[in-house]
Order: sequence, then C-alpha cells, then structure tokens
Amino acid sequence: MSVVAALALVAPGCGGDDEPSSAVSPTTSAASSREPGDAQAPIRVGLAIGSGRSDEPSLDLLARQGLERARNELGVGSRVLTSRTSAGYLRNLTALAREDYDLVLAVGRHRSSSLAEVAARFPDDRFAIVDMGQGDLKGSPANVRGLLFREQEAGYLAGYLAGLVTRHESGSRQVIGSVGGRKIPSVDRYIAGFRAGAQAANPEITTLNAYAQQFVDQAPCKEIALDQIARNARVVFQVAGQCGLGVLAAAGEKNVRGIGVDVDQRYVGEQVLTSAVKKADVAVFQTILALQEGSFQGGEDIVFDVASGGVGLGEVAADVPAEIVSQVNRIQAEIAAGTIVGIPETVR
Amino acid sequence: MNEPPARAGTPQDGEHAPSVASQLALWQKAGGLLVPLLTTVFAFLVGGLVVLVTTGKNPLTTYRAIFEGSGLNWFLEVGAHELRLPFTETSVPFPWQTNDLESLAALNLQQTLITWVPLVLTGLAVACAFRCGMFNIGGQGQYLVGAIIAVWVGSELPSLPGLLHVLAAIVAGALTGAAWAGIAGFLKAVAGTHEVISTIMLNWIAVWVGVFLFGLGGPLQNDTQPFVPVSNDVLEESKLTVFWGDPFLQGLHVGVFVALGALAVYWMTLNRTTFGFQVRAVGHSPEAARYGGISVARSYFLAMALAGLFAGLAGAIDIVGWQSRLNTSDIRTSSLGFIGIAVALLGRNTAIGIGFSALLFAALVVGTSTRNLDPEIFRPELASNLTLLIQGLVVLFVGADVLILYLLGRGRRARRRAVASPQE
Repeated sequence: MSVVAALALVAPGCGGDDEPSSAVSPTTSAASSREPGDAQAPIRVGLAIGSGRSDEPSLDLLARQGLERARNELGVGSRVLTSRTSAGYLRNLTALAREDYDLVLAVGRHRSSSLAEVAARFPDDRFAIVDMGQGDLKGSPANVRGLLFREQEAGYLAGYLAGLVTRHESGSRQVIGSVGGRKIPSVDRYIAGFRAGAQAANPEITTLNAYAQQFVDQAPCKEIALDQIARNARVVFQVAGQCGLGVLAAAGEKNVRGIGVDVDQRYVGEQVLTSAVKKADVAVFQTILALQEGSFQGGEDIVFDVASGGVGLGEVAADVPAEIVSQVNRIQAEIAAGTIVGIPETVR
Repeated sequence: MNEPPARAGTPQDGEHAPSVASQLALWQKAGGLLVPLLTTVFAFLVGGLVVLVTTGKNPLTTYRAIFEGSGLNWFLEVGAHELRLPFTETSVPFPWQTNDLESLAALNLQQTLITWVPLVLTGLAVACAFRCGMFNIGGQGQYLVGAIIAVWVGSELPSLPGLLHVLAAIVAGALTGAAWAGIAGFLKAVAGTHEVISTIMLNWIAVWVGVFLFGLGGPLQNDTQPFVPVSNDVLEESKLTVFWGDPFLQGLHVGVFVALGALAVYWMTLNRTTFGFQVRAVGHSPEAARYGGISVARSYFLAMALAGLFAGLAGAIDIVGWQSRLNTSDIRTSSLGFIGIAVALLGRNTAIGIGFSALLFAALVVGTSTRNLDPEIFRPELASNLTLLIQGLVVLFVGADVLILYLLGRGRRARRRAVASPQE
C-alpha cells in the first residue's frame, strides 16, 4: 500500500521533456546518437517481434535471421525484443527508440498501430516495418520505411510450378485450386499471380479459388480444400496464414500436393510441393545495408521482388523432375530480368 | 474446496480453554501472512533451481535483473531530486527521480503499476466469487467484454462533454462485465449449473465475439485501415488522465486510484455490509445460510455480478487508461484474467493480500519481458516462460497451504498432548 501511497504524491510535470536522454539499460551501457556509416561506432539495430515458437518459420523469425546475418556480415549491433501482446510490443518499441537504436524494426500488420504511435513520438529516430506500407500507417510518419513484397511474382512462380507438375502427373482433367483467407490485396496478389503462372505454364488448366473469410481456424480452410480436391484439384495453394495449414493438412490426407505461403512450409510434410515465400530476412538485411551505406530514407515504401531476391519459392519437393525445376528457374530468371511483365495483381 | 483449513479446525480446538482459542486466532492471523510469504519464497526457490539447472546461470542475478526490470528498484534510488507540484510551477525537493526520461526505473515502474491495475481488479473478481463459495474462472471473459464495450463507447459514440465520455466508457464496461458474470451466477442460482463450466464457456464466447467484431470485415473494425484487424481508437476525451510519464507511450494513468478504491470497496462490502455477511455465510455453508434465512440464490447471483463488475472495470480501464484500442491478436492471447486467479489465491482473498500479490505478479510480468533481461543473464526467449513458471508454482504451493497448516497443526497437537499428559 505504501508503494502506491508514495506514487500518489507524484504528480504531473514529469516526462514529456525535450530530447531523449541516454537511458541506462541493463544491456547497453552508453548510447549516444551515432551517425550511420560511421566507421568507428557500429550502427545498432533493434527488432521487436512477437513471442512465437522459435522452431516454426514465421515472418518474425525470418526478420530475426536477417538481423543476425547483418550482425555477422555487417558487424551491426543488434537487440531483439519479444512480446506476446501489443502492450508489450509498444513498450519494446519505446525502449528501443529511447535507447537510440539507429534503426528500429517492427514486423507485420498487427503491430502497425504500435509502430505508428512510437514513430510519431520519436521523430528523429528511424523505423521500418516489414510487410506493411508506410502510407497505411496512421499519420503516414515520415521516419518510417515500409518493406513490402511483390507477392504476385512469388505466386506466379508457384503457379508455374503447379501447372507443370499437374500436366506431368495427372491425366486429362487438369485442375488446381487456391484458398485465400480473405479477399484483401496482399492475398489477391498471391492468387492472381498463381493463376497467371499456372495458365502460362499450362493453358489447359482449370483454376479454382475460394476464400475462408478468416486466417485463424484451420477447419474452414480444410473444408474448402477438400471440396477443391473433390473437384479434381491436384495442387492446392494456401494463402490464409494459420487457417491455411488446414489446406496443407487436406492435401496430406487426400494425397495431393499443397503449396505453402509467406514462409517455407516444407516442414509441414511431404505433401508440400513448395512455398511462395516473402523473404523477410532479405528485406531486413538489405534495409540494414542501406542504412549502413547512408541511403536509408523514411517516408517511403521499398518493394522487394524476385529481382532483389525478396520473394521467391521455398524448398521444392524432391520428387519433382529436374527439368521442371530448371524450367521454373528459367522463368524466375526471366521475371528478374524484366522479360515477364504485367503479372496481374487482382483476382477478377 | 477453498475453505481455509485453519478455520475448519476452529470448532474442535475452540472447545479448549479460551486462551487456546485466542492463541489460535493470533496464530491464524500470523499464518495468514506467513503462509503466502512462505509460498512465494518457495516458488522463487524452485524457479531459481530451474534457472540454475536449465541455463546454468546464477538465479540470484536473474532475480535481480527481474527486480530491476520491474522498476521496483526505483524506490531504492534515493537522491536529491525535485517534484513539480500539480497545477503549479513550483518544485519541491523529492527523494526520487520522477522524470522517466532520466530514470529507466521510473519508466519500468510505470509499466508495472499499469499492469498492477487490471491484476488487482481481476484478482478481486476471483476473490469475490471465492468468498461466496464459487470459483470464477471467467475473469478473462469478463475483462474482455468490459474492454470491448469500453472501446465501443469510447470510439463509436458521439463525443460527450467533460469527463462524461470516459465515465460512460468505464461504467458501461463494468456493467457489461457484471452482466456477463451475472449469467453464470444466475444459472448457478436457478439451475445449479456449475460456475466453473459456465464461466469457461463464457470466456470463449467473449473471445470470439471480440474477434468477430474487430476482425477483418467485422462491424467495429477500423474505418481507416481496412486490412488491419483492430478497433477504432477511442476518442481523446475518453482517455484517462496520465499523471506520470508520457501520455502517448503508456504513462501511468489515474486508474491506479480506481484500483485502490476497488480494494477498499471490496473490503467494505464483504466485512461491513449485510450483503457481504450473506455472501460469506453462503461461502461457509450454503445450507446453514439458507437455514438462517439468507437467500442463497440471490447471494450467488449478486456475488458473481460483483465479481464481473470488477473484471469488467479492469477491461474498461485498460482501454481508456492506456490501450486505446483492441486488436484481435490481443483478444486471443491476453491472459490477465487468468493471472487474476493466482493473484486471488496468493492474496488469500483479502483486500491487502490481493494488493500485494497483484504487485508481485505485475512485477514478474514486466520484469521478465525481454526488454529488461540482459541476454547474458537469461535467455530472452525463456524470459516470459519464467513468469508463467513462477506463477504456476505459486498456485501449486497455495494448494500446499493445506499441507503446511496440517503439518504445523499436528506438531502443535502433539506438543499439547505432551504438556497435558503429566497432569492427568
């Protein structure tokens, strides 16, 4: 009780003063502001992620790997803070900003409001957010860079592979399916690319598509996938996060192939043909590289694509014939070179 | 199931001379304080053992880091500082550094106290039902409906003048929490439905209603960010005043005084009102209470509703105090209502006990966040698990109260026999 009674005496007029001082934290002894690219003092990058499992791939985990790579190859200082709720997330971002990290990284849509708030309170610090447009943040803060991905290119590659595999493996009825979480732009970019890629590889192919209307519960996604498989789909592409694991489960049960999304989901099982991957590790690494070279700028989005190695395919199933893999690799090179253009971004 | 064991022994021992009874009462009071303390110490010992065995690090260093991370070391950092008096320009000497830009401890302490508020209230929600002989597992759901309604009132209703808006949000949240828990109380009263089952089910209903409302395409989902599953922000006029720290970055809001007030209200209601007497009577023995003319059904319903009121208040205050919005992933992962069970158990359902045990758990939650633990001292990935571990141990050892009291009682009886036999 005395604890709180003492606090009752503490009144307004605390905090909210001028510049953030060098806060003494348990880990960083001193933290003066450093210029990026300064050879003597290595730049320091802080990353705030959720506390998901560390043995299951996720964008959080990829971002962390990107930061670790930057620490090993570029010699930057790094600190990773995890939290379960957005309350802790805001605290972590605040702590990193207060401790004058040269770049503070956040990952994912769920964290966008926390980042927008902290970025607005620390206008002199630099921030970046993976998988979220800077313009979509509240107030479009000028010190934040959005790291986006050209999902349609990854979808295109996955679709191309699926088209070839279907022609190779099934007879006259060539059908593939995709299961989206909701009809939102990032999901539709994957699906539009997937369908375009499949058509390009195999003009006779029929593509099915449906949305589960959510990203969490696996059952609806599994149901849709089972329905598509019953309609002769030989490959099903999940674009529905957690829900989509139900798609891969359905593919496993019915002995057809599934395609993972966002991260390499080969770990799910042998039924996974490949995954359409957002390489958050590449995005984070390249962003830190840009910071070190002095070309980092807030207030804009950087879109990572096949050419920059930011999107692509995950591990391909071992039983896929080598000539199909090399054909897909050729397509990837063509996308990177800019010869394949106009991949659609919207479904219908 | 939660009958304090010492009390169960009273009638039997009370048959001896009055001095023994008064001794026992004294001992009970001491035991009331001693046993939770022992429980906590024991939980930390075992937790330390786990730290030592699994990571090979020094548990004392880890605990020291947790202590510092919780900001409680702020009180130890006494120096010559100044405090500006509220509403004035004058400063007076003050022993502690209140500027959280200068002191990391001050910032951490703010976070601990922000967490303390809902833990006190959800702890009360559990304790209140306990005293009436019910086990309220539904603190989480009641907390959530309180938060959901507070977000709705705070963000969707046209703005009201002055303090009305924030009051409306808090009152609406608390009442919804009361109604939510009241469902379980009502079912128990009229149909005998076990409150453990019904409150657990109501938790899930609250979670999925929240996910439905604020998820993509939901009716209360954010208007300006169509692809983010989050509610609208509450209006500026429906936010509580922040009196310590940065109002935009989770500074300490005046809700701490509401929590303090709730502790006082809880104590008053249970110990100084007829309703409280009835609740306690039903808690001791529903049959005896009924024989004494107390409406057991009414007590069940009202005690549960009061419990829900506290938990709903917690949710509403979190929203208008610092959270300002609700997103679906928080709805699914939040566990404050469940920590409330541990708070009430350790606090032995007393107001003061809950105040202190909530502080302990708040300090653990904030102190073990990765932000505050040096990777050299403890692996950050394991940090939040350490909280859960100690929390679980505390709950486990609170159950062991019974054992400790039994053993102490046996020793006492044996000694008494030894003293008594020569006289025979």
